[in-house]
Amino acid sequence: MATRKQRESWFKVRGALNSYRSGILTAASFIVPFVIWCFFAYTPGLWDISHKLDVTTDLKNDEFSTIYRVDHVMEADRFGVFQQMVRDRNAEILTYQQSGGDLPEGVTVSSRANQKIIRKLHPVAVTTGWLNESQSTDNEAIYQLWKEIAEGNKDVPEEKISAENLEIIKQNWARMKVGGEIYDSATFPKEPLLHLIPDGERSVGRPSYLPSPGEVFTEGYKLFTGKSSLVEGSLGSRYIDSIIIVFMGFLIACLVGLPIGLLAGTFDFFAKLFEPFVDFFRYMPAPAFGTLLVFLLGSHDAPKMALVFLGTVCQAILMTANTTRQLDTGLLDAAQTLGAKKTDLVFKVVIPGIIHNLYNDLRILLGWAWTWLVIAELMGVKSGLTEVIDTQGRRFNFDIVYAVILLIGLTGFVTDQILARLQPILFPWASEEPGGGIAKITGWFSRLFGRNQVNASATPAIESTPNA
Amino acid sequence: MKNTCKRLRKLLLATSILALSAAGVKAEPLKIAYSDWPGWTPWEIAIKKGWFEEAGVEVDFQWMDYVGSLDAYAAGKLDGCHMTNGDALVIGTDKPSVCILINDYSNGNDMFIAKEGFADVKSLKGKKVGLEEGFVPHLLVLRALEDNGMSEDDIEIVNTPTDQTPQVLKTGAVEAICAWQPSSGTALREVPGSKAIYTSKDCPGLIYDCLFVTPESLKERRDDWMKVVKVWYKVVDFMKNEDNIDEVLEILAGRVSVTPDEYEPFLAGTYILKLDEALPIWKEAEGLGSIYGSSKISDDFNVKYKVYEEPKKYSSYLDPSLTAEYAESVK
Repeated sequence: MATRKQRESWFKVRGALNSYRSGILTAASFIVPFVIWCFFAYTPGLWDISHKLDVTTDLKNDEFSTIYRVDHVMEADRFGVFQQMVRDRNAEILTYQQSGGDLPEGVTVSSRANQKIIRKLHPVAVTTGWLNESQSTDNEAIYQLWKEIAEGNKDVPEEKISAENLEIIKQNWARMKVGGEIYDSATFPKEPLLHLIPDGERSVGRPSYLPSPGEVFTEGYKLFTGKSSLVEGSLGSRYIDSIIIVFMGFLIACLVGLPIGLLAGTFDFFAKLFEPFVDFFRYMPAPAFGTLLVFLLGSHDAPKMALVFLGTVCQAILMTANTTRQLDTGLLDAAQTLGAKKTDLVFKVVIPGIIHNLYNDLRILLGWAWTWLVIAELMGVKSGLTEVIDTQGRRFNFDIVYAVILLIGLTGFVTDQILARLQPILFPWASEEPGGGIAKITGWFSRLFGRNQVNASATPAIESTPNA
Repeated sequence: MKNTCKRLRKLLLATSILALSAAGVKAEPLKIAYSDWPGWTPWEIAIKKGWFEEAGVEVDFQWMDYVGSLDAYAAGKLDGCHMTNGDALVIGTDKPSVCILINDYSNGNDMFIAKEGFADVKSLKGKKVGLEEGFVPHLLVLRALEDNGMSEDDIEIVNTPTDQTPQVLKTGAVEAICAWQPSSGTALREVPGSKAIYTSKDCPGLIYDCLFVTPESLKERRDDWMKVVKVWYKVVDFMKNEDNIDEVLEILAGRVSVTPDEYEPFLAGTYILKLDEALPIWKEAEGLGSIYGSSKISDDFNVKYKVYEEPKKYSSYLDPSLTAEYAESVK
């Protein structure tokens, strides 16, 4: 007890920290980068104020020559000009509506154009819960919504629909209801209606490559539930595709690499025969063979698995050989003294002797295999998670990109942690300390709550706290 | 004895599997590449709706980057590939690929975009332009320069993959880029103040977008390609029906990961040709109104700017017979 009271230094040269402290540090190693991200994403004053659109328009002019969709971010001054463009157009339409005459330039008489005008209310209606995501082209429901808002039957929060737009809704409805209280494509007006003025909440105008954690997690959630308006289907099947590529590549690399490595580690003959070439080959970057692989194996999954294989197999051979060589030669001598044959040596001495170290090697290799995923999936027909990363990156939708990258990182990390936790169960004789970082954190938490299940012996200091 | 029987049976099984797979080679699906050009994404409608199965032709549509698909095609990995009539002359195949279908002509979706402060092509003299060398954006820029009394020497070309042009323009490494939708739209949006200073609308007919197939595949499987042509015109009819517009937009926008509203303007920038509009273009004539005339102009450009040395026999790249035959069959 007395030694415990003395404050131990956090910086002991080559001394292990107790698990309480290592737990804190492990948690910090995740929290610090996250806090840095939050700092840059949320701190006011770092970036200019911008508007994230929730009502947009199909109008274009010289300055806004492309479509801005909901969620696009526009700098405050440009946003003002953008709104003005629509106001100017509305003024022209209003003159036309009241006094007739020639159609203003670029205005068409079509029910399609008007349908698109009334649909601009849909995204806002989703945020207020009036409509759901899938109703973006549901003319009947949207028409009904216009009616209810115009007639004051909806409680409209002002931050959702500006007074200006409310006025436009009423003016348009006055024209729309001539065609009936319920949507009818035949009587829906063709003469131009007024456009809703673009609107969007003021927010921190982060550059597109720096979405906030909130945006990334929301997009990630949408991706997984198949609700994203930009990525077709749910992420699940792509995720499985990617996992299959990685694991198949890894598996084949193991099937080829482990036996060769084992032989090379056991018999110098094979070491001299294989290792020099493998050592040479591993310096050739695997992606350099991409075109060749597509040429040989087509453009779907096969060349992708082959790339993961090529990128992993050399390490598999060399690591296995090295691990095999580290087996205590005393064991081999003893076995030979007892008359073991060569095959017995390999199967009954070498393999059981190194299996726990080999397991660790495979863990590292699996991590290695994951690093090839993105390059592999870009080959031939883009597929899996990478297609999302690639396409969305080009469209500057970095919130989606980061969500997918995080998913890949998380998958690799969690798999590795699970494998690490399994190690003491699979190889109890070789376990020194269970688990990696996550194990430590969970252990730390369970200790905090007094349920002491994990590795009691490793934490005598914390153990005795209640008694002290 | 029993063992021998077993072995024999195994052997038989193995050979029959081999034989089957050899037979399977013949019925292999047609491997066709398509990419994000709005004239080719409509195939997605046929794929989604199962129209190829209905027509009785097996296809393997492979979604790729445009230049990636040309590379895969040149490497002999595909039976058919979508490209512009000009690019078909450029890619390095030993035999001429054969155009059997004209999907559309570019009507504004190919854009030469300059950043703020450069109002027209002339103002880009001596400036850097990011584009994919030797391919369709290159052709458009050369044409733009020529229309403005300039030549390639007046600008500095920075070879840039088309899908990365928005990023490159945004970094300020170049003053202008040339790209097609959706990349061109992304650039206009992400680089405030940037503007299209010349587009394919200024020279309609310079760029026809077509389905090219290998001469071998056309020879061996002409019937199957005929079915593909038939499916295409089913797609065109579906698209041109106003009532389907929401469904069309949803499918096409989904394919290139934009929203339907963002996609809608692409429809005007890529003029999808109906059958009766395609037929006159197939007629041999001078000028951009005919695919022959258009290909000749591309060929002249390519020789003039040393994309390749000798003029090509562009007419051997064009085979109007399938479209004509289809037109005859629906008369």
